[in-house]
Amino acid sequence: MIRRWRQWLLSEYLVLFLSAFYFAAMWPFTPGLAAPANLANLAAAMLPLLIVALGQTFVLIARGIDLSVPSTIALTSVTGALVMNADTGWLRGNVLVVPAGLLAMLAVGALLGLANGAAIARLRMPPFIVTLTTMMFVSGLAIWVTKSKNILGLPPAFNAIGAQALPAFAVTLAVAVVAHLALSRTLAGRWLYAVGHNERAAHVSGVPVAHVTLGAYIVCGLCAALASVLYTGRLETGSPIMGQRILLDVIGATVIGGTSLYGGKGKVVWTVFGVLFLTLIDNTLNLQNLSHFTIMMVKGTVILLAAVLDAARHHLVGRPADA
Amino acid sequence: MKFRTCLALLLALVFTGCDKPATSGGKLTIGVAFETLQTEYWVAGFDAIKAELAKRDLNVLEAIADQDANRQLQQVKNFIARKVDGIILVPKDAQTCLPMIKAANEAGIPIVLFNRPADKSDAKSVAVVADNFQLTRETVSFMLEEAHKSGKKYKGLVILGDLGDLNAIGRRDGFDAAVKGNEEVVEIVARVPSEWNQEKAQAGVVNALQANPDIDFIFTSSDFLFPSVVSALKAAGKYHKIGEPGHVILGGFDGDATAFAMLKDGYLDATGVQDVYFEAQSAVQALMDLRAGKTGPELIADPGFVIHQANLTEMAPRMWGANVKK
Repeated sequence: MIRRWRQWLLSEYLVLFLSAFYFAAMWPFTPGLAAPANLANLAAAMLPLLIVALGQTFVLIARGIDLSVPSTIALTSVTGALVMNADTGWLRGNVLVVPAGLLAMLAVGALLGLANGAAIARLRMPPFIVTLTTMMFVSGLAIWVTKSKNILGLPPAFNAIGAQALPAFAVTLAVAVVAHLALSRTLAGRWLYAVGHNERAAHVSGVPVAHVTLGAYIVCGLCAALASVLYTGRLETGSPIMGQRILLDVIGATVIGGTSLYGGKGKVVWTVFGVLFLTLIDNTLNLQNLSHFTIMMVKGTVILLAAVLDAARHHLVGRPADA
Repeated sequence: MKFRTCLALLLALVFTGCDKPATSGGKLTIGVAFETLQTEYWVAGFDAIKAELAKRDLNVLEAIADQDANRQLQQVKNFIARKVDGIILVPKDAQTCLPMIKAANEAGIPIVLFNRPADKSDAKSVAVVADNFQLTRETVSFMLEEAHKSGKKYKGLVILGDLGDLNAIGRRDGFDAAVKGNEEVVEIVARVPSEWNQEKAQAGVVNALQANPDIDFIFTSSDFLFPSVVSALKAAGKYHKIGEPGHVILGGFDGDATAFAMLKDGYLDATGVQDVYFEAQSAVQALMDLRAGKTGPELIADPGFVIHQANLTEMAPRMWGANVKK
């Protein structure tokens, strides 16, 4: 019996099983849950969150954490809008305005990741403090640059990336596939797990720990910038407060999926399951017409339970099966 | 095996899922999406709308976006997926709501914006909004009349809201319009940007009082910032009742429970009250009119009213803050 529980707890598909069970359990009581239009909404809600969570997966595997992703989303949103908007955009009217805007957003995301990574890997500062202060600084910067104003008039071709299902899905799929291949099929991926599992041992084994850590934060910044492309396109607006409230969802979904807060453990597919589960909970609670406060309490409880489960799994992995 | 079973179960549920409209038992269903419930005003508005819908025997679906415009877009799309009969929306701002209005327009679902209008665009909606400019001007004019009675020249401070919010801009402009031409009564020495944040407001007022200890005329763009003002005034030893020496003339906007208590206790000179009940009733009526194919104004203005010591007893029953249970 204990062995079965252990197997169940350590299963790769635990969160997918939970999602399927939850879906089946809620379906009879939740009007419209399985309706195609609702499923399309569910998928659309998952896509940008999944991209940010994939970036966070890299950082968590390296035993770090990036709390600055909301502000990265905001600053990249504003940057893209400043470059592309039809009224005052730096490149308005240029035929290459959309690629240039996308490049600018990705460059800002990568730079912020680089700054976080450099402070953590080179200056040996705690990730929590570094990324928290980055969040404060960058949030302020985004608001200062725009004077709190939203920027409208983005090119329709840019808006379509986030607003239309096919391009949004294609971008997310591409990010997920690349992330999966990078983690499972490359030397850099193995180094990342090694650093997260035991930094000292990895260093002794010749793993370039600082470069790997730096790379993880750059990937996280890039993913936040890509998610910002989807969020900004959806709302057709560059906003200095874009993504301000998603941090708990990002970390919650990643941890619910099974990526460990203790580092060295995580997979792309787990993050997909985590995002699916969290989005499903959000969607069903909304369809149940529960109050905002109830939804917040339920979501907070689920994320807390996931963290407890993570601790239990971490504990179990270190013990023999018949213990 | 288990993985395949899970997938099969999910797919079976998906393909057998049916697309039922939200309308139940012949009753119409209205989706009510609020950006936040973090201040008393929004809670009062939310309750007033639900009460109005219940009075008309309409079902309600509710969604709160926790100040996240993307989440709100998703919630509006959920309403549309459930085929609601109308949507009442409090957007985060005037711009990010445009895709939501367009989505409702495409689905043929009428949409009414409560208390915050959208920017000009080809998206069709009706907005019920307090006349922020006029009501602020009237409130500040009343404060100026009170100041004029003493015969001395005042030093003024104004707390501004989030200037990305059209309501905050209207209130700022209303304040400026009232003060213009009354420079002999009050000189504005400090303008504190709050971004609708109590901590920022308090820090700003404290700093302003240090730089200008003789400030004796304060207007806040929202009553929910009064705790910040009162705290700063108490720290500076300047919080006195009307008629007492050293009283700072205070005015606000909204009509919340704090303002009502301050009026009752004799500390607050005046506040511009948004008539939440009028706004809720107008929003639901506008939705019904849109459903019936009637064309009306795109903007319905709530004139509101100024409440002060002289009309407190008479006007308190219409002040939503006086009806909030503490």
